[in-house]
Amino acid sequence: MKKQMTNIYRVMTLSVLLGAGSGFFQTAVAAEWPVKGDFVKGAQLWVENCNRCHSYRDPQELRDDQWITTIYHMRIRAGFTGQQARDLVTFMQKSNK
Amino acid sequence: MKKRDNTILRKAVMAVVIGAFPLTSMAGGSDYDVLQDQVKVLQQQLERVQKALKEIETKSASKQDMETAKSEFREEISNAMTPNTLVHLAGYANVGYDSEAGKDGSFNAIQFSPILHYQYKDIFMLEAELEFKAEADGETEVEMEYMSIDWFMNDYSILVAGKFLSPIGTFRQNLHPSWINKMADAPPGFGHDGAAPTSDVGLQVRGGFGEKVRSNYAVYVANGPELNAASEDGEFELEGIMAEGFSTDVDGEKTIGGRYGIIPMAGLEIGLSAATGKAAVTNIVDEDAGTSMSVLGNSRSYDVFGADFSWQRKALDFRGEYIQTKIGEDLTGPGASEGADWKTWYLQAAYMIPSVSLEPVLRYTDFDSPHASEDVKQWSAGLNYHFSNHLIAKLNYQSNDVNKGSRIPENKWLVQLAYGF
Ligand code: HEC
Repeated sequence: MKKQMTNIYRVMTLSVLLGAGSGFFQTAVAAEWPVKGDFVKGAQLWVENCNRCHSYRDPQELRDDQWITTIYHMRIRAGFTGQQARDLVTFMQKSNK
Repeated sequence: MKKRDNTILRKAVMAVVIGAFPLTSMAGGSDYDVLQDQVKVLQQQLERVQKALKEIETKSASKQDMETAKSEFREEISNAMTPNTLVHLAGYANVGYDSEAGKDGSFNAIQFSPILHYQYKDIFMLEAELEFKAEADGETEVEMEYMSIDWFMNDYSILVAGKFLSPIGTFRQNLHPSWINKMADAPPGFGHDGAAPTSDVGLQVRGGFGEKVRSNYAVYVANGPELNAASEDGEFELEGIMAEGFSTDVDGEKTIGGRYGIIPMAGLEIGLSAATGKAAVTNIVDEDAGTSMSVLGNSRSYDVFGADFSWQRKALDFRGEYIQTKIGEDLTGPGASEGADWKTWYLQAAYMIPSVSLEPVLRYTDFDSPHASEDVKQWSAGLNYHFSNHLIAKLNYQSNDVNKGSRIPENKWLVQLAYGF
Protein backbone atom coordinates (compact mmCIF):
# COMPACT_ATOMS: atom_id res chain seq x y z
CA MET A 1 0.00 0.00 0.00
CA LYS A 2 2.79 2.36 0.95
CA LYS A 3 4.69 1.43 -2.18
CA GLN A 4 1.57 1.88 -4.24
CA MET A 5 1.09 5.41 -3.03
CA THR A 6 4.75 6.17 -3.62
CA ASN A 7 4.31 5.16 -7.26
CA ILE A 8 1.30 7.38 -7.69
CA TYR A 9 3.04 10.29 -6.00
CA ARG A 10 6.00 9.77 -8.28
CA VAL A 11 3.94 10.06 -11.44
CA MET A 12 1.93 12.95 -10.07
CA THR A 13 5.07 14.82 -9.10
CA LEU A 14 6.55 14.16 -12.51
CA SER A 15 3.48 15.42 -14.32
CA VAL A 16 3.27 18.51 -12.16
CA LEU A 17 6.95 19.23 -12.72
CA LEU A 18 6.60 18.74 -16.46
CA GLY A 19 3.51 20.88 -16.37
CA ALA A 20 4.88 23.62 -14.17
CA GLY A 21 7.97 23.94 -16.33
CA SER A 22 5.85 24.73 -19.33
CA GLY A 23 2.93 26.83 -18.09
CA PHE A 24 0.53 24.35 -16.60
CA PHE A 25 -2.80 26.01 -17.23
CA GLN A 26 -1.89 27.39 -20.60
CA THR A 27 -4.52 25.60 -22.64
CA ALA A 28 -7.05 25.33 -19.88
CA VAL A 29 -7.60 29.07 -20.08
CA ALA A 30 -7.14 29.50 -23.82
CA ALA A 31 -10.37 31.16 -24.94
CA GLU A 32 -9.81 31.16 -28.67
CA TRP A 33 -11.07 28.03 -30.38
CA PRO A 34 -10.20 26.66 -32.85
CA VAL A 35 -6.68 28.09 -32.56
CA LYS A 36 -4.85 28.80 -35.81
CA GLY A 37 -1.27 27.79 -36.48
CA ASP A 38 1.43 28.36 -39.08
CA PHE A 39 0.74 26.80 -42.49
CA VAL A 40 4.37 26.61 -43.65
CA LYS A 41 5.62 25.05 -40.42
CA GLY A 42 2.68 22.63 -40.59
CA ALA A 43 3.63 21.61 -44.13
CA GLN A 44 7.19 20.87 -43.07
CA LEU A 45 6.05 18.91 -40.02
CA TRP A 46 3.73 16.87 -42.24
CA VAL A 47 6.47 15.96 -44.71
CA GLU A 48 8.97 15.08 -42.01
CA ASN A 49 6.74 13.14 -39.62
CA CYS A 50 3.53 11.78 -41.04
CA ASN A 51 5.13 8.73 -42.68
CA ARG A 52 7.10 7.57 -39.63
CA CYS A 53 4.58 5.06 -38.30
CA HIS A 54 2.30 4.65 -41.32
CA SER A 55 2.09 5.85 -44.92
CA TYR A 56 1.12 9.49 -45.47
CA ARG A 57 -2.61 10.10 -45.26
CA ASP A 58 -4.00 12.39 -47.96
CA PRO A 59 -5.24 15.77 -46.61
CA GLN A 60 -8.20 15.36 -49.00
CA GLU A 61 -9.44 12.37 -47.00
CA LEU A 62 -10.99 14.31 -44.14
CA ARG A 63 -13.03 17.43 -43.43
CA ASP A 64 -11.64 20.37 -41.42
CA ASP A 65 -13.28 19.26 -38.15
CA GLN A 66 -12.12 15.66 -38.65
CA TRP A 67 -8.55 16.82 -39.11
CA ILE A 68 -8.68 18.47 -35.69
CA THR A 69 -9.58 15.24 -33.86
CA THR A 70 -7.13 13.25 -36.00
CA ILE A 71 -4.20 15.59 -35.44
CA TYR A 72 -4.89 15.74 -31.69
CA HIS A 73 -5.01 11.94 -31.69
CA MET A 74 -1.64 11.95 -33.48
CA ARG A 75 -0.36 14.55 -31.02
CA ILE A 76 -0.91 11.98 -28.27
CA ARG A 77 0.60 9.13 -30.29
CA ALA A 78 3.60 10.86 -31.78
CA GLY A 79 4.40 13.42 -29.07
CA PHE A 80 3.86 16.60 -31.08
CA THR A 81 3.78 19.78 -28.98
CA GLY A 82 0.60 21.84 -28.82
CA GLN A 83 2.06 24.42 -31.21
CA GLN A 84 3.08 21.71 -33.69
CA ALA A 85 -0.45 20.29 -33.52
CA ARG A 86 -1.94 23.73 -34.29
CA ASP A 87 0.46 24.17 -37.23
CA LEU A 88 -0.44 20.72 -38.52
CA VAL A 89 -4.20 21.34 -38.22
CA THR A 90 -3.82 24.59 -40.19
CA PHE A 91 -1.83 22.81 -42.90
CA MET A 92 -4.27 19.89 -43.19
CA GLN A 93 -7.30 22.21 -43.26
CA LYS A 94 -5.82 24.42 -45.98
CA SER A 95 -4.81 21.43 -48.07
CA ASN A 96 -8.04 19.48 -48.10
CA LYS A 97 -9.86 21.37 -50.86
CA MET B 1 -6.78 40.21 -118.16
CA LYS B 2 -10.31 39.25 -117.22
CA LYS B 3 -9.55 39.55 -113.52
CA ARG B 4 -8.26 43.07 -113.94
CA ASP B 5 -11.47 44.09 -115.74
CA ASN B 6 -13.47 42.71 -112.87
CA THR B 7 -11.64 44.76 -110.24
CA ILE B 8 -12.05 47.94 -112.21
CA LEU B 9 -15.76 47.30 -112.56
CA ARG B 10 -16.16 46.67 -108.83
CA LYS B 11 -14.38 49.89 -107.89
CA ALA B 12 -16.61 51.85 -110.22
CA VAL B 13 -19.81 50.45 -108.72
CA MET B 14 -18.57 51.19 -105.23
CA ALA B 15 -17.78 54.80 -106.09
CA VAL B 16 -21.30 55.30 -107.41
CA VAL B 17 -22.91 53.78 -104.30
CA ILE B 18 -20.82 55.81 -101.87
CA GLY B 19 -21.40 58.93 -103.85
CA ALA B 20 -25.13 58.33 -103.86
CA PHE B 21 -25.45 58.35 -100.07
CA PRO B 22 -24.59 61.90 -99.16
CA LEU B 23 -26.89 62.87 -101.93
CA THR B 24 -29.84 61.03 -100.45
CA SER B 25 -29.14 62.26 -96.96
CA MET B 26 -29.03 65.78 -98.13
CA ALA B 27 -32.07 65.22 -100.24
CA GLY B 28 -34.52 65.82 -97.32
CA GLY B 29 -33.74 67.62 -93.98
CA SER B 30 -36.09 65.42 -91.93
CA ASP B 31 -34.43 62.15 -93.03
CA TYR B 32 -31.12 63.60 -92.03
CA ASP B 33 -32.39 64.55 -88.59
CA VAL B 34 -33.80 61.08 -88.06
CA LEU B 35 -30.49 59.55 -88.98
CA GLN B 36 -28.63 61.94 -86.73
CA ASP B 37 -30.91 61.00 -83.83
CA GLN B 38 -30.35 57.34 -84.54
CA VAL B 39 -26.61 57.84 -84.54
CA LYS B 40 -26.85 59.66 -81.23
CA VAL B 41 -28.84 56.82 -79.71
CA LEU B 42 -26.37 54.32 -81.07
CA GLN B 43 -23.50 56.36 -79.69
CA GLN B 44 -25.10 56.40 -76.26
CA GLN B 45 -25.69 52.68 -76.41
CA LEU B 46 -22.09 52.10 -77.43
CA GLU B 47 -20.88 54.23 -74.51
CA ARG B 48 -23.01 52.22 -72.13
CA VAL B 49 -21.71 48.94 -73.53
CA GLN B 50 -18.13 50.21 -73.26
CA LYS B 51 -18.73 51.28 -69.67
CA ALA B 52 -20.20 47.89 -68.78
CA LEU B 53 -17.26 46.17 -70.43
CA LYS B 54 -14.84 48.29 -68.43
CA GLU B 55 -16.67 47.40 -65.23
CA ILE B 56 -16.48 43.71 -66.04
CA GLU B 57 -12.79 44.11 -66.82
CA THR B 58 -12.04 45.85 -63.53
CA LYS B 59 -14.06 43.24 -61.68
CA SER B 60 -12.24 40.24 -63.16
CA ALA B 61 -8.96 42.04 -62.68
CA SER B 62 -9.42 41.65 -58.92
CA LYS B 63 -9.48 37.84 -59.06
CA GLN B 64 -7.47 37.95 -55.89
CA ASP B 65 -10.39 39.66 -54.14
CA MET B 66 -12.56 36.76 -55.26
CA GLU B 67 -10.07 34.26 -53.85
CA THR B 68 -9.90 36.14 -50.57
CA ALA B 69 -13.68 36.19 -50.35
CA LYS B 70 -13.76 32.50 -51.13
CA SER B 71 -11.24 31.57 -48.46
CA GLU B 72 -12.98 33.82 -45.93
CA PHE B 73 -16.20 32.02 -46.74
CA ARG B 74 -14.51 28.64 -46.31
CA GLU B 75 -13.11 29.69 -42.98
CA GLU B 76 -16.58 30.77 -41.89
CA ILE B 77 -17.95 27.34 -42.81
CA SER B 78 -15.00 25.61 -41.17
CA ASN B 79 -15.55 27.59 -37.96
CA ALA B 80 -19.27 26.91 -38.07
CA MET B 81 -18.46 23.20 -38.32
CA THR B 82 -16.13 23.34 -35.35
CA PRO B 83 -18.25 23.42 -32.24
CA ASN B 84 -16.59 23.05 -28.84
CA THR B 85 -17.23 19.30 -28.91
CA LEU B 86 -16.06 17.33 -31.91
CA VAL B 87 -17.02 13.75 -32.66
CA HIS B 88 -15.12 11.53 -35.08
CA LEU B 89 -15.37 7.87 -35.98
CA ALA B 90 -12.11 6.36 -37.19
CA GLY B 91 -10.67 2.85 -37.00
CA TYR B 92 -9.74 -0.11 -39.14
CA ALA B 93 -10.94 -3.47 -40.36
CA ASN B 94 -9.45 -6.50 -42.03
CA VAL B 95 -10.35 -9.79 -43.63
CA GLY B 96 -7.94 -12.61 -44.38
CA TYR B 97 -7.12 -16.13 -45.44
CA ASP B 98 -4.27 -18.35 -44.30
CA SER B 99 -2.90 -21.73 -45.09
CA GLU B 100 -0.42 -23.62 -42.88
CA ALA B 101 1.86 -26.43 -43.95
CA GLY B 102 -0.04 -29.72 -43.62
CA LYS B 103 -3.47 -28.10 -43.03
CA ASP B 104 -6.36 -26.87 -45.10
CA GLY B 105 -6.53 -23.10 -45.46
CA SER B 106 -9.30 -21.00 -43.92
CA PHE B 107 -10.78 -17.59 -44.29
CA ASN B 108 -10.07 -15.79 -41.04
CA ALA B 109 -8.69 -12.64 -39.43
CA ILE B 110 -12.11 -11.00 -39.61
CA GLN B 111 -11.72 -7.96 -37.43
CA PHE B 112 -13.54 -4.65 -37.08
CA SER B 113 -12.02 -2.04 -34.78
CA PRO B 114 -13.90 1.24 -34.60
CA ILE B 115 -12.20 4.13 -32.80
CA LEU B 116 -14.31 6.88 -31.30
CA HIS B 117 -12.93 10.34 -30.67
CA TYR B 118 -14.77 12.91 -28.61
CA GLN B 119 -12.84 16.12 -28.24
CA TYR B 120 -13.68 19.11 -26.06
CA LYS B 121 -11.79 22.09 -27.52
CA ASP B 122 -8.05 21.53 -27.18
CA ILE B 123 -8.45 20.57 -23.55
CA PHE B 124 -9.85 17.02 -23.44
CA MET B 125 -10.09 14.04 -25.71
CA LEU B 126 -11.76 10.73 -25.14
CA GLU B 127 -10.30 7.98 -27.32
CA ALA B 128 -11.77 4.50 -27.34
CA GLU B 129 -11.11 1.52 -29.57
CA LEU B 130 -13.30 -1.57 -29.57
CA GLU B 131 -12.18 -4.74 -31.21
CA PHE B 132 -14.72 -7.14 -32.73
CA LYS B 133 -13.24 -10.44 -33.89
CA ALA B 134 -14.88 -13.44 -35.51
CA GLU B 135 -13.62 -16.49 -33.59
CA ALA B 136 -12.97 -20.00 -34.85
CA ASP B 137 -16.02 -21.32 -32.91
CA GLY B 138 -18.40 -18.91 -34.60
CA GLU B 139 -18.62 -16.56 -31.64
CA THR B 140 -17.74 -12.88 -31.83
CA GLU B 141 -15.19 -11.67 -29.34
CA VAL B 142 -15.40 -8.06 -28.20
CA GLU B 143 -12.54 -6.36 -26.44
CA MET B 144 -11.85 -2.86 -25.33
CA GLU B 145 -8.44 -2.24 -26.87
CA TYR B 146 -8.15 1.07 -25.11
CA MET B 147 -10.36 3.73 -23.56
CA SER B 148 -8.82 6.77 -22.00
CA ILE B 149 -9.71 10.32 -21.16
CA ASP B 150 -6.81 12.51 -22.15
CA TRP B 151 -6.20 15.96 -20.71
CA PHE B 152 -4.02 18.31 -22.76
CA MET B 153 -2.51 19.92 -19.67
CA ASN B 154 -0.26 22.22 -21.67
CA ASP B 155 1.68 22.27 -24.93
CA TYR B 156 4.18 19.70 -23.70
CA SER B 157 2.28 17.17 -21.62
CA ILE B 158 -0.92 15.19 -21.79
CA LEU B 159 -2.38 13.16 -18.93
CA VAL B 160 -3.85 9.89 -20.21
CA ALA B 161 -6.14 8.13 -17.73
CA GLY B 162 -7.80 4.77 -18.30
CA LYS B 163 -6.85 1.71 -20.31
CA PHE B 164 -4.09 2.45 -22.79
CA LEU B 165 -1.86 0.60 -25.22
CA SER B 166 1.43 -0.11 -23.51
CA PRO B 167 3.88 2.72 -24.19
CA ILE B 168 6.73 0.19 -24.05
CA GLY B 169 8.32 -0.13 -27.49
CA THR B 170 6.53 0.85 -30.68
CA PHE B 171 4.85 -2.19 -32.20
CA ARG B 172 1.88 -2.27 -29.84
CA GLN B 173 1.20 1.44 -29.64
CA ASN B 174 2.09 2.52 -33.16
CA LEU B 175 2.19 -0.36 -35.61
CA HIS B 176 -0.33 -3.06 -34.75
CA PRO B 177 -3.42 -1.74 -36.66
CA SER B 178 -3.68 -3.85 -39.80
CA TRP B 179 -3.55 -0.91 -42.22
CA ILE B 180 -0.27 0.18 -40.58
CA ASN B 181 1.40 -3.20 -40.03
CA LYS B 182 3.15 -4.04 -43.27
CA MET B 183 2.83 -7.75 -42.52
CA ALA B 184 -0.40 -9.71 -42.07
CA ASP B 185 0.43 -10.62 -38.46
CA ALA B 186 2.40 -9.40 -35.45
CA PRO B 187 6.02 -10.46 -35.09
CA PRO B 188 6.29 -13.45 -32.67
CA GLY B 189 6.61 -12.24 -29.05
CA PHE B 190 4.50 -9.11 -29.63
CA GLY B 191 1.16 -10.84 -29.19
CA HIS B 192 -0.54 -12.36 -26.16
CA ASP B 193 1.71 -14.29 -23.76
CA GLY B 194 4.68 -12.71 -25.51
CA ALA B 195 7.69 -10.71 -24.43
CA ALA B 196 6.10 -7.30 -24.93
CA PRO B 197 3.25 -5.98 -22.77
CA THR B 198 0.13 -5.11 -24.76
CA SER B 199 -2.00 -2.80 -22.58
CA ASP B 200 -2.28 -1.47 -19.08
CA VAL B 201 -4.75 0.31 -16.84
CA GLY B 202 -3.55 3.38 -14.98
CA LEU B 203 -2.22 6.87 -15.51
CA GLN B 204 0.19 8.06 -18.14
CA VAL B 205 1.83 11.40 -18.86
CA ARG B 206 3.12 11.82 -22.39
CA GLY B 207 4.10 14.54 -24.79
CA GLY B 208 7.00 16.03 -26.66
CA PHE B 209 9.38 18.95 -26.82
CA GLY B 210 12.07 20.46 -29.03
CA GLU B 211 11.94 21.80 -32.56
CA LYS B 212 15.06 20.86 -34.51
CA VAL B 213 15.93 17.79 -32.48
CA ARG B 214 12.60 16.56 -31.22
CA SER B 215 11.88 14.29 -28.28
CA ASN B 216 8.80 12.42 -27.18
CA TYR B 217 8.19 10.71 -23.88
CA ALA B 218 5.68 8.63 -21.95
CA VAL B 219 5.78 7.70 -18.26
CA TYR B 220 3.11 5.62 -16.57
CA VAL B 221 1.96 3.96 -13.39
CA ALA B 222 -0.44 1.05 -13.81
CA ASN B 223 -1.89 -2.12 -12.33
CA GLY B 224 0.62 -4.20 -14.23
CA PRO B 225 0.47 -7.81 -15.40
CA GLU B 226 -0.53 -11.16 -13.88
CA LEU B 227 1.21 -14.47 -14.38
CA ASN B 228 0.11 -17.84 -15.62
CA ALA B 229 1.79 -20.96 -14.21
CA ALA B 230 1.56 -24.55 -15.36
CA SER B 231 1.83 -27.65 -13.24
CA GLU B 232 3.37 -30.79 -14.57
CA ASP B 233 4.19 -33.80 -12.40
CA GLY B 234 3.73 -31.75 -9.25
CA GLU B 235 6.22 -29.09 -10.39
CA PHE B 236 5.31 -25.59 -11.47
CA GLU B 237 6.73 -23.42 -14.17
CA LEU B 238 5.88 -19.96 -15.44
CA GLU B 239 3.69 -20.30 -18.50
CA GLY B 240 3.11 -16.75 -19.66
CA ILE B 241 2.71 -13.11 -18.74
CA MET B 242 -0.78 -11.72 -19.08
CA ALA B 243 -0.26 -8.04 -19.81
CA GLU B 244 -3.54 -7.13 -21.49
CA GLY B 245 -4.54 -4.46 -19.01
CA PHE B 246 -6.22 -5.63 -15.81
CA SER B 247 -8.65 -3.36 -14.07
CA THR B 248 -7.67 -4.79 -10.72
CA ASP B 249 -4.30 -5.04 -9.10
CA VAL B 250 -4.44 -8.31 -7.18
CA ASP B 251 -0.86 -8.12 -5.95
CA GLY B 252 -1.28 -4.52 -4.79
CA GLU B 253 1.99 -3.57 -6.45
CA LYS B 254 1.96 -0.97 -9.19
CA THR B 255 4.14 -1.11 -12.27
CA ILE B 256 5.90 2.05 -13.40
CA GLY B 257 7.60 2.54 -16.71
CA GLY B 258 7.93 4.61 -19.84
CA ARG B 259 9.60 5.31 -23.12
CA TYR B 260 11.82 8.12 -24.37
CA GLY B 261 12.11 8.68 -28.11
CA ILE B 262 14.45 11.06 -29.88
CA ILE B 263 14.27 12.26 -33.47
CA PRO B 264 17.77 13.59 -34.12
CA MET B 265 16.91 14.31 -37.77
CA ALA B 266 13.90 13.95 -40.03
CA GLY B 267 13.27 10.31 -40.86
CA LEU B 268 15.05 8.76 -37.87
CA GLU B 269 13.69 7.89 -34.43
CA ILE B 270 15.44 6.01 -31.65
CA GLY B 271 13.58 4.91 -28.53
CA LEU B 272 14.35 3.31 -25.20
CA SER B 273 11.73 1.81 -22.90
CA ALA B 274 11.71 0.31 -19.44
CA ALA B 275 9.19 -0.80 -16.83
CA THR B 276 9.53 -2.25 -13.39
CA GLY B 277 7.16 -3.54 -10.76
CA LYS B 278 5.84 -6.72 -9.25
CA ALA B 279 3.68 -9.51 -10.59
CA ALA B 280 2.14 -12.61 -9.08
CA VAL B 281 0.86 -15.93 -10.36
CA THR B 282 -2.94 -15.75 -10.46
CA ASN B 283 -3.71 -18.79 -12.52
CA ILE B 284 -2.39 -22.35 -12.57
CA VAL B 285 -3.08 -24.60 -15.51
CA ASP B 286 -2.89 -28.34 -14.91
CA GLU B 287 -1.75 -29.56 -18.29
CA ASP B 288 -2.46 -33.26 -17.60
CA ALA B 289 -6.00 -32.70 -16.31
CA GLY B 290 -6.67 -29.80 -18.68
CA THR B 291 -8.06 -27.66 -15.85
CA SER B 292 -7.11 -24.27 -14.46
CA MET B 293 -7.34 -22.82 -10.98
CA SER B 294 -7.24 -19.26 -9.61
CA VAL B 295 -4.57 -18.66 -6.96
CA LEU B 296 -2.54 -15.77 -5.60
CA GLY B 297 1.17 -16.36 -5.49
CA ASN B 298 3.79 -14.18 -3.84
CA SER B 299 4.97 -11.02 -5.59
CA ARG B 300 7.79 -11.56 -8.03
CA SER B 301 9.95 -8.93 -9.66
CA TYR B 302 8.81 -7.77 -13.10
CA ASP B 303 11.30 -5.93 -15.32
CA VAL B 304 10.95 -4.92 -18.94
CA PHE B 305 13.52 -3.34 -21.20
CA GLY B 306 13.10 -2.30 -24.81
CA ALA B 307 14.92 -0.48 -27.60
CA ASP B 308 13.55 0.51 -31.00
CA PHE B 309 14.42 2.52 -34.08
CA SER B 310 12.74 3.53 -37.32
CA TRP B 311 14.36 5.02 -40.37
CA GLN B 312 12.70 6.36 -43.52
CA ARG B 313 14.59 7.43 -46.57
CA LYS B 314 12.77 8.05 -49.83
CA ALA B 315 10.81 4.87 -50.56
CA LEU B 316 12.56 2.78 -47.91
CA ASP B 317 11.10 2.09 -44.47
CA PHE B 318 13.46 0.26 -42.14
CA ARG B 319 12.70 -0.47 -38.49
CA GLY B 320 13.47 -2.79 -35.65
CA GLU B 321 12.75 -3.42 -32.03
CA TYR B 322 14.03 -5.47 -29.11
CA ILE B 323 12.01 -6.26 -25.97
CA GLN B 324 12.78 -8.46 -22.98
CA THR B 325 10.73 -9.23 -19.90
CA LYS B 326 12.27 -10.82 -16.80
CA ILE B 327 10.15 -12.40 -14.07
CA GLY B 328 11.78 -13.17 -10.73
CA GLU B 329 11.41 -16.31 -8.64
CA ASP B 330 8.86 -17.16 -5.95
CA LEU B 331 9.94 -20.24 -4.08
CA THR B 332 7.20 -20.48 -1.48
CA GLY B 333 3.77 -19.32 -2.69
CA PRO B 334 1.18 -21.12 -4.84
CA GLY B 335 2.71 -21.86 -8.24
CA ALA B 336 6.20 -21.41 -6.76
CA SER B 337 8.93 -21.65 -9.38
CA GLU B 338 12.14 -20.23 -10.70
CA GLY B 339 12.12 -16.96 -12.57
CA ALA B 340 11.99 -16.79 -16.36
CA ASP B 341 12.90 -14.53 -19.30
CA TRP B 342 11.10 -13.71 -22.52
CA LYS B 343 12.98 -11.96 -25.33
CA THR B 344 12.10 -10.98 -28.84
CA TRP B 345 13.45 -8.78 -31.59
CA TYR B 346 12.69 -8.08 -35.22
CA LEU B 347 14.06 -6.15 -38.17
CA GLN B 348 11.80 -5.14 -41.03
CA ALA B 349 12.49 -3.47 -44.36
CA ALA B 350 9.84 -2.30 -46.81
CA TYR B 351 10.32 -0.60 -50.15
CA MET B 352 7.48 1.21 -51.89
CA ILE B 353 7.46 1.27 -55.69
CA PRO B 354 4.97 4.09 -56.31
CA SER B 355 4.67 3.61 -60.09
CA VAL B 356 2.96 0.24 -59.54
CA SER B 357 1.74 0.78 -55.91
CA LEU B 358 3.59 -2.35 -54.87
CA GLU B 359 5.57 -2.72 -51.67
CA PRO B 360 7.83 -5.72 -51.05
CA VAL B 361 8.53 -6.33 -47.32
CA LEU B 362 10.95 -8.57 -45.46
CA ARG B 363 10.92 -9.24 -41.70
CA TYR B 364 13.08 -11.39 -39.46
CA THR B 365 12.03 -12.16 -35.87
CA ASP B 366 13.72 -14.18 -33.14
CA PHE B 367 11.44 -14.98 -30.19
CA ASP B 368 12.98 -16.71 -27.21
CA SER B 369 10.70 -17.83 -24.36
CA PRO B 370 11.27 -20.14 -21.37
CA HIS B 371 9.44 -22.83 -23.35
CA ALA B 372 11.32 -24.46 -26.17
CA SER B 373 7.99 -25.28 -27.84
CA GLU B 374 7.19 -21.57 -28.27
CA ASP B 375 10.58 -20.40 -29.51
CA VAL B 376 10.73 -19.43 -33.13
CA LYS B 377 13.07 -17.83 -35.62
CA GLN B 378 10.89 -16.50 -38.39
CA TRP B 379 11.50 -15.17 -41.88
CA SER B 380 8.50 -13.44 -43.35
CA ALA B 381 8.36 -12.14 -46.91
CA GLY B 382 5.49 -10.07 -48.20
CA LEU B 383 4.15 -8.16 -51.16
CA ASN B 384 1.62 -5.39 -50.52
CA TYR B 385 -0.60 -3.66 -53.04
CA HIS B 386 -1.70 -0.17 -52.00
CA PHE B 387 -5.12 0.72 -53.44
CA SER B 388 -4.47 3.85 -51.44
CA ASN B 389 -2.32 4.55 -48.40
CA HIS B 390 -4.99 3.19 -46.07
CA LEU B 391 -6.40 0.35 -48.18
CA ILE B 392 -3.86 -2.42 -48.54
CA ALA B 393 -3.86 -5.98 -49.86
CA LYS B 394 -1.10 -8.18 -48.40
CA LEU B 395 0.37 -11.50 -49.43
CA ASN B 396 2.83 -13.08 -46.95
CA TYR B 397 4.93 -16.20 -46.84
CA GLN B 398 6.41 -17.25 -43.48
CA SER B 399 9.10 -19.75 -42.81
CA ASN B 400 9.49 -20.79 -39.16
CA ASP B 401 12.53 -22.41 -37.63
CA VAL B 402 11.11 -24.16 -34.53
CA ASN B 403 12.09 -26.78 -31.97
CA LYS B 404 10.80 -30.34 -32.01
CA GLY B 405 7.27 -30.67 -30.66
CA SER B 406 6.36 -27.07 -31.47
CA ARG B 407 2.81 -26.30 -32.52
CA ILE B 408 4.01 -23.48 -34.78
CA PRO B 409 3.76 -24.54 -38.45
CA GLU B 410 6.96 -24.77 -40.48
CA ASN B 411 5.57 -22.44 -43.04
CA LYS B 412 2.44 -20.46 -43.69
CA TRP B 413 0.80 -18.34 -46.39
CA LEU B 414 -1.30 -15.37 -45.34
CA VAL B 415 -3.52 -13.10 -47.42
CA GLN B 416 -5.11 -9.99 -45.93
CA LEU B 417 -7.10 -6.98 -46.98
CA ALA B 418 -6.79 -4.09 -44.52
CA TYR B 419 -8.79 -0.87 -44.45
CA GLY B 420 -7.97 2.07 -42.16
CA PHE B 421 -10.72 4.67 -41.98
C1 HEC C 1 4.12 7.78 -33.63
C2 HEC C 1 3.52 7.15 -34.75
C3 HEC C 1 2.62 8.00 -35.64
C4 HEC C 1 2.93 9.18 -36.27
C5 HEC C 1 4.27 9.92 -36.26
C6 HEC C 1 1.73 9.58 -36.98
N1 HEC C 1 0.74 8.66 -36.80
FE1 HEC C 1 -1.13 8.73 -37.61
N2 HEC C 1 -1.61 7.02 -36.62
C7 HEC C 1 -0.77 6.29 -35.80
C8 HEC C 1 -1.50 5.16 -35.26
C9 HEC C 1 -0.93 4.12 -34.32
C10 HEC C 1 -2.80 5.23 -35.78
C11 HEC C 1 -3.95 4.27 -35.54
C12 HEC C 1 -4.65 4.60 -34.29
C13 HEC C 1 -5.35 3.44 -33.73
O1 HEC C 1 -5.73 2.53 -34.47
O2 HEC C 1 -5.56 3.43 -32.50
C14 HEC C 1 -2.84 6.41 -36.64
C15 HEC C 1 -3.99 6.83 -37.33
C16 HEC C 1 -4.03 7.89 -38.20
C17 HEC C 1 -5.18 8.25 -38.99
C18 HEC C 1 -6.52 7.53 -39.00
C19 HEC C 1 -7.50 8.21 -38.09
C20 HEC C 1 -7.23 7.99 -36.63
O3 HEC C 1 -7.16 8.99 -35.89
O4 HEC C 1 -7.08 6.84 -36.21
C21 HEC C 1 -4.83 9.36 -39.71
C22 HEC C 1 -5.70 10.13 -40.69
C23 HEC C 1 -3.46 9.69 -39.36
N3 HEC C 1 -3.00 8.77 -38.46
C24 HEC C 1 -2.76 10.77 -39.86
C25 HEC C 1 -1.49 11.15 -39.41
C26 HEC C 1 -0.86 12.40 -39.74
C27 HEC C 1 -1.46 13.48 -40.62
C28 HEC C 1 0.35 12.41 -39.12
C29 HEC C 1 1.38 13.53 -39.09
C30 HEC C 1 0.93 14.71 -38.43
C31 HEC C 1 0.49 11.15 -38.41
N4 HEC C 1 -0.66 10.42 -38.60
C32 HEC C 1 1.63 10.76 -37.70
C33 HEC C 1 0.54 6.57 -35.53
C34 HEC C 1 1.23 7.68 -35.98
